[in-house]
Amino acid sequence: MTRRAALFSFALMALAAPLAHANVLVTDLSKDQISIRGDFTGETLLLFGAIDPTPHGPVDGVVVVLRGPGENVTLRKKQKSLGIWVNQQAYRMGPLPGFLATVSSAPLAALVPPQERRQLNIGADQLDASLLSGTTSAAEKQEALQAYVRLKRSDALFDENAQAVEIIDDRLFRAEIKLPAGMPVGRYVTEFFAFKNGRVVGYRTGELPVDIVGAGHILGEAAHHQSLLYGLSGVALAVFMGWGVAAIFRRR
Amino acid sequence: MQIYLPIAEMSAHIMTLIGMGGLVGFMSGMFGVGGGFLMTPLLIFIGVPPAVAVASEANQIVASSVSGGLAYWQRRAIDVPMGLILMAGGLVGSYSGVQIFKALRAQGQVDLLISLSYVLFLSVIGLLMLRESIQALNARRLGNPVRARRPGQHSWILGLPFRMRFRRSKLYISVIPPVIIGFFVGMMSAIMGVGGGFIMVPAMIYILRMPTNVVIGTSLFQIIFVTASVTVFHAVENQTLDIVLAVLLMIGGVIGAQIGAYAGQRLQGEQLRALLALIVLAVGARLLFDLVVEPQELYSISAMSSAGETP
Repeated sequence: MTRRAALFSFALMALAAPLAHANVLVTDLSKDQISIRGDFTGETLLLFGAIDPTPHGPVDGVVVVLRGPGENVTLRKKQKSLGIWVNQQAYRMGPLPGFLATVSSAPLAALVPPQERRQLNIGADQLDASLLSGTTSAAEKQEALQAYVRLKRSDALFDENAQAVEIIDDRLFRAEIKLPAGMPVGRYVTEFFAFKNGRVVGYRTGELPVDIVGAGHILGEAAHHQSLLYGLSGVALAVFMGWGVAAIFRRR
Repeated sequence: MQIYLPIAEMSAHIMTLIGMGGLVGFMSGMFGVGGGFLMTPLLIFIGVPPAVAVASEANQIVASSVSGGLAYWQRRAIDVPMGLILMAGGLVGSYSGVQIFKALRAQGQVDLLISLSYVLFLSVIGLLMLRESIQALNARRLGNPVRARRPGQHSWILGLPFRMRFRRSKLYISVIPPVIIGFFVGMMSAIMGVGGGFIMVPAMIYILRMPTNVVIGTSLFQIIFVTASVTVFHAVENQTLDIVLAVLLMIGGVIGAQIGAYAGQRLQGEQLRALLALIVLAVGARLLFDLVVEPQELYSISAMSSAGETP
């Protein structure tokens, strides 16, 4: 909590005496880390902070990005062959974020000019990745990238919302990002942008670790690093349960 | 209550999983079929990755066959030497099956392999069951008893070399046919996440000419070992075994099987068997439909691996 207290006092200082380089944002999260337990069904992360209106006047808007760890992805495309739909082309691309939420106080187009947005890498439509094997035309690669975004959106792992950041009194803001149950684990990165006349006037970045904890963590580790022992435990458990149940029902 | 399945990497309602285990267990207790051939497709329908469904369902079948097999063991209705010979073929088969599975998984074709295998087997089993139950219903209506098929002549394959005496089955036959049957059923078990009793039992009766009183027990005996090996091989080679999922299915399955066995003694079988045949055909048809109809989304993400850096 000391970090938060420090941030808070810093926020007050920032509000009282604007810094020379005029970073107008001070930010924090409702949680230092996300722990995925056995009963994790997703949660809402609150991202908030203070805006200093002194150097530029009230900002036009705030954009908050939460980006999951980068992954190498194999994307496959089905084609009809002998009457059935079969995976044919494979695109190995990476790194691509396994999670990407972009929330803002107004539509992105109203806050940032397109070329600026490309530079800042804000929004799923700006994603790019290198092909890790084979060659593909630019159009084909673009189509595969778009499919990746579509698939992630349908799993609620990619989200864009232009109403999820609320600015209060030109001085405070709060943003909400929904974290779904199937979110990938790893080190997430937060980015906060404040825009005025299409320019960045405030920027903060931070980290958010997401981990599986408890029994799920132990099982996941065992399944990947002690796979023989893990498999044998599954069998032992099955024998024990099968035997136990037969014994219980025989006694009746 | 929702529960997170750590290997399937999805969250599902705990009662959905126990309920599915219970429903399939009920049917298997009632009809004496294993139920794997219904459970694996059902798991795929609720969104469990097919590779995880196969490995975890094999693990569940270990529990249900131990539970069922114990009763036959006490009745001495298991031909252990025959079971061991079938198992020997079965272990080689399950190992080969897991290797094929692994190779096709790397090519992105394992879902297709699973679906095609199911479409084939479910339509054959469903049609055979339907025909049998319609014949039984007709026979009942006409007042004729259903005639048991007479075993014919010993076929030449049983006279191949490496003959062995199986006392409990009262047979003196070559070990080659049971090894081959075991091999195919083991391979099927590894690819489809089934025990394979629905192939094994008819093969024992019609090919090996085993007496019916030892057939189910011996089949369960070898299914225990083959599905146990499938579970371990998948855990090691593909890392797709989800123990949390398997345990929930076991809980539902064992309870359902006991209730099903109780119900099966009291209800009239033929109509229900016809109903089961229709369910089997419907599941097969659904899988075929998904293969034939143009999917809404042509793309799928088939593998993710950490790339270290955040892009």
